[in-house]
Amino acid sequence: MNCPIESHNPERLVDYAAGALDPESARALVRHFAGCAPCRSMAAGQTAVWKALDEWEAPPVSPDFNRRLYRRIDEEVRLSWWERLTRPFRPMPLRQALPLTATAGLLLVAGLLVQHPVRFAPAAQPGETVRADQVERTLDDLDLLRQFGTANAEENVHPDAM
Amino acid sequence: MSDMGVAVAATLDYDAELMLRVKEGDGTSFGVLLEKHRAAVVYFIYRLVQEQAIAEELAQEVFLRVYRSRASYEPTAKFKTWLFRIATHLALNWLRDEKHERGQERLDDVSVDLPVRQILDRRPSVEQELIYETKMQEVRRAIAALPEKQRAAVLMHKYEEMEYTQIATVLGCSESAVKSLLFRAYETLRARLAHMGRT
Repeated sequence: MNCPIESHNPERLVDYAAGALDPESARALVRHFAGCAPCRSMAAGQTAVWKALDEWEAPPVSPDFNRRLYRRIDEEVRLSWWERLTRPFRPMPLRQALPLTATAGLLLVAGLLVQHPVRFAPAAQPGETVRADQVERTLDDLDLLRQFGTANAEENVHPDAM
Repeated sequence: MSDMGVAVAATLDYDAELMLRVKEGDGTSFGVLLEKHRAAVVYFIYRLVQEQAIAEELAQEVFLRVYRSRASYEPTAKFKTWLFRIATHLALNWLRDEKHERGQERLDDVSVDLPVRQILDRRPSVEQELIYETKMQEVRRAIAALPEKQRAAVLMHKYEEMEYTQIATVLGCSESAVKSLLFRAYETLRARLAHMGRT
């Protein structure tokens, strides 16, 4: 038979240690071991690893596992459409949510700045006075708005009240 | 269930057929699947994350996701492969978050959950118990020191007896990549654990 190591087929040795080879292949491999120290050593090491892993037992599952699961399923069934929609974000811990929120905020601000670039006004000159024509125009605008508001209010009065 | 669905599921496995029944609204079939795979999923995740409470929490999430996705379920692979794909995804995500959060301190923590060994024939002496715990601590550390994908591959190969193709589907890589992962993982484990089996 071909040497598993030389023929780049070392999984045969893993399968041998796992007892996954058919009896004939296993016997052929054992015969090969007699003349191949690297394969013999690797198979022995793998068998030892297999035994060590065999001994590693997991603790038993909690008796209330099913009850807890079915309670969660019941809660799931009762969820509103909004809760189902936002569910992927709910278990997100603060440490994950904060960077995401900060990034989203930064992107929003950057987007706004691109759309409406800030134009910095030149620094006010010391001793600059308020322009009178600008004040007059503002007062005229306010007066116009006040008159417009009064006219609207008169129109909205109920006829019975007159 | 449609005839087409049954035919496709039958060519895959009985579990896929049960899942198609769940899709049709059969809650009993979900219960059957839960009973059949609960322990395997919890144990697999436990050996990956090495914390019992976390393992059960993640396993609950696995079955919850199975239930949630019942409506869109299509039996394109073996049910167990699909189930372990969800389990592996959740466990590896948890490990990455945990690693990011706490570094590797847990790996050196002596007080990780120690499984309660069930001795059926006779009670072990205190000395035997200590020897066993020391050995298991060494095994747990050796497994935990493996890169995540290698760890998942070894656990599926060793404890679930999954074929290379199934592991490849779960991990989303080729069969040759799985063989390579397993070879490197077992090489590391042989260097760390081979002395245990020889004593």
